[in-house]
Amino acid sequence: MSLLAQSIINGLITGSIYALVAAGYSLIYSTNNFMHFAHGISVVAAGYMVYWLFTLAGTPFYVTCIITVILSALFGLAMYRLIYLPLQRKGASNVILLIASIGILTFFQNVIQIAFGSGVKLIGYIEVAKGITFAGITMTLLQIVILVISFIIFIMLYQFMQRTKLGRNMRAVSNNKELASIVGINHIRVSDFSFLIGSGLAGVAGILVALEQNLSPLMGTNLMIKGFTGAVIGGINYVPGSIVGSFLLGLAENLGILVLPSGYKDAIAFSMLFLFLLFKPNGILGKKEGRFDK
Amino acid sequence: MIISAYQTHIFILIFIYIILAVSLNLALGYTGLLNLGHVAFYGIGAYTSALLAIEGMPYLAAMIIAGLFASVFGYLLVTATDRLKGDYLAMATLGFSFVVYSLLLNLREITRGAMGIPGIPKPSILGLTVRTNDQYLIFVLLICAISVFIMYRIVKSPFGKLLEANRDNAVCLRVLGKNTFGLKYKAMMISAFFAGISGSLYAHYITFIDPTSFYISELILILTIVIVGGLASIKGSIVATAVIIYVPEILRTLDLPSSVLGPVRQALYAAILIAILMLRPRGIFGKVDLE
Amino acid sequence: MILSCKDIYKSFGGIKAIDGCSFTVAEKKITGIIGPNGSGKTTMFNVISKLIKPDSGTIEFKGQDVTGLKDYELAKMGVSRTFQDVKLFQNLTIREHLQIAMSDTDEKLLSNIFRGKEGDAQKIKEVMELVGLDKPLDTYGNDLSYGQRKLLDLAIAIAKPHTLLMLDEPVAGVNPRLRDSIKDILRELNSRGESILLIEHDMNFVMDLVDHIFVMDAGKVIAEGAPEEIQNNPCVLEAYLGGSEEGTKCL
Ligand SMILES: Nc1ncnc2c1ncn2[C@@H]1O[C@H](COP(=O)(O)OP(=O)(O)OP(=O)(O)O)[C@@H](O)[C@H]1O
Ligand SMILES: [Mg+2]
Repeated sequence: MSLLAQSIINGLITGSIYALVAAGYSLIYSTNNFMHFAHGISVVAAGYMVYWLFTLAGTPFYVTCIITVILSALFGLAMYRLIYLPLQRKGASNVILLIASIGILTFFQNVIQIAFGSGVKLIGYIEVAKGITFAGITMTLLQIVILVISFIIFIMLYQFMQRTKLGRNMRAVSNNKELASIVGINHIRVSDFSFLIGSGLAGVAGILVALEQNLSPLMGTNLMIKGFTGAVIGGINYVPGSIVGSFLLGLAENLGILVLPSGYKDAIAFSMLFLFLLFKPNGILGKKEGRFDK
Repeated sequence: MIISAYQTHIFILIFIYIILAVSLNLALGYTGLLNLGHVAFYGIGAYTSALLAIEGMPYLAAMIIAGLFASVFGYLLVTATDRLKGDYLAMATLGFSFVVYSLLLNLREITRGAMGIPGIPKPSILGLTVRTNDQYLIFVLLICAISVFIMYRIVKSPFGKLLEANRDNAVCLRVLGKNTFGLKYKAMMISAFFAGISGSLYAHYITFIDPTSFYISELILILTIVIVGGLASIKGSIVATAVIIYVPEILRTLDLPSSVLGPVRQALYAAILIAILMLRPRGIFGKVDLE
Repeated sequence: MILSCKDIYKSFGGIKAIDGCSFTVAEKKITGIIGPNGSGKTTMFNVISKLIKPDSGTIEFKGQDVTGLKDYELAKMGVSRTFQDVKLFQNLTIREHLQIAMSDTDEKLLSNIFRGKEGDAQKIKEVMELVGLDKPLDTYGNDLSYGQRKLLDLAIAIAKPHTLLMLDEPVAGVNPRLRDSIKDILRELNSRGESILLIEHDMNFVMDLVDHIFVMDAGKVIAEGAPEEIQNNPCVLEAYLGGSEEGTKCL
């Protein structure tokens, strides 16, 4: 029984990191309608930024966090302005943008590997070793912090999307680009903000990942697939959906390894991704859209 | 031999990648199948051939079965993704390569997981064993020539024109009475078959494989080759393979430590890919756009 | 009867594009469909040629129920069609278009690999002359003008083995001189025993060409008959001009 409960808690913690990745990704997808696969590298870059500023350079932790989030946001904006937008202006299809973004991911993954080496890095900020045990369930303080922070961020994001003018414009652009520009919404500006905010969220995810796990340059692909899978499960063009989907993914992974060998964690995620893309590409909460041929 | 041992090595790789790139071009460029899972076929071919040969199967049989087994996965992939289009199709095929990767990693009883498979025997055909790299070069050149010749004949034949017609306008083609679903299956299976063959050639050349050889960095490399060379151009894929595999070897003259050399090369491939998409999306010899 | 459609319904979201449409096409005759923009003519063509699945209704071709067939299966049975918005194959040449249309062996992979190019040069030349497309055979689909694409689309529909030819506005965007020659081509094909079903807005073009006309409006057939009957039918005037008192009785 407590094994089950523990798995559920672990699932929620993993899920909240996936959800942070997915929320930013799906925010960007829903306003721009293409797959920003390089989102994964924003997360990893943020993690390494923390390692560099905090662990190596000794910058105070909170300052590190603020700088990291800001730089992440700017990194995302730069990708949009320097690569995606010029490609779009040349009439590139979504598939080209996807391939370019896989290229960006690989490029920076290797740049990080050149700069920091391929070995894993530890941040060593909050003591992770000591867990709090309650009713047979063990959680570290850090994990509680992760859960709390991600919930706060999700609520803020939801409020932002619903209540602010910018948030409403984003939803308008995601619904219909042409119509949005007819009513005077500058969709490039909206895209700018979607990259800023989405990549800022990736920055937060990166900080939490850096604290929770060991950093390695190659983790971006994996994180991206997980975030993407969560987004697909919940509905890639609907931010709340992709958050819910990510939690489901986290739970599925952690409950799945109760019956399967633990190595199958990734296989569970990949298979779910594949199955959802095939049978329910709009996800469980996503808006209907023509994903199918004919 | 007139070329150095190192150049022999590079040429062997080039011939292996030519088969891989041309086979991807057959699906992606000629038929318009947005397959980002091509490396999975390559990996399946490599593992199948290696495992069968270790069990004692004659090399040629192992190689052919590796191709056929990859083809079976090609069939399954089309069945599964038949209804998807555009970037969703691309993501699903990418997802397929992730699934295969994680299976290679996790089916430890068969694949030995991350430890990989060492000691893959060198090919032996009709009692003749290909021992030295020089011999392997000739062997690979031969298989490469046969494979490319077959694929060339296919794309130039009336059947090949149907593949191109399917890429341009599948609806119009069906109205002309052609079974475009059948075409897609055939094209993907041929493409997967030759990817499987090149996987087999790779495995028996390097004699050690592990799942990381068949993952996203490999995907970037062959996508770069095909896009740089140009969609629907076999000549383009061949030239681009030679250039893209050979040129980064100049990096070796920089005396970088080997731990950095790999990532530098990978970063370079990715940079070339992005640059070609931005500057000349049709590649060197391409005539068609990726849609 | 070469083709008969019964009670076809098809809606897109809320729009009833086809709203209970039935008609038959007589063998070896030229049949016309007219109707205002958006009345469902092209949709009906798409339903017949299986490109879209109707919500309900049945279709028979040469006395056989073909409702459940796939688009290419029906095409193989002998239905040729053209498109209102022609796209063709951008990266293939005119010759290759016609070869694809005429060949019935190109889907066989193995027999194709080691055999040279095929294609009946004489037949290609004939079709090109028939439709009056005066362009080198090596021209790519991409490099044709709208009118030329229209002609090539007609040419491949004719070149493909068929017994029923369905044409969606074959002379829209084609110059007046060519219109007359297309009219002659269609008469010629008809005299060879082909059945033709065509959609056309141009009344002058249709009226002295066809044997029978169906008038569609809002997804229904509102009138049918010989051209001279139709010309004087108040329902038709209503559909095209709108608002007449008599018109409301038609439905
Ligand atoms: N794929 C589709 N999705 C949604 N609505 C459609 C689709 N195809 C057709 N329609 C709608 O169905 C109706 C009939 O369209 P259709 O193209 O059949 O008209 P038409 O009679 O061919 O007109 P025209 O003379 O202008 O070519 C129109 O209202 C059109 O908007
Ligand atoms: Mg129409």
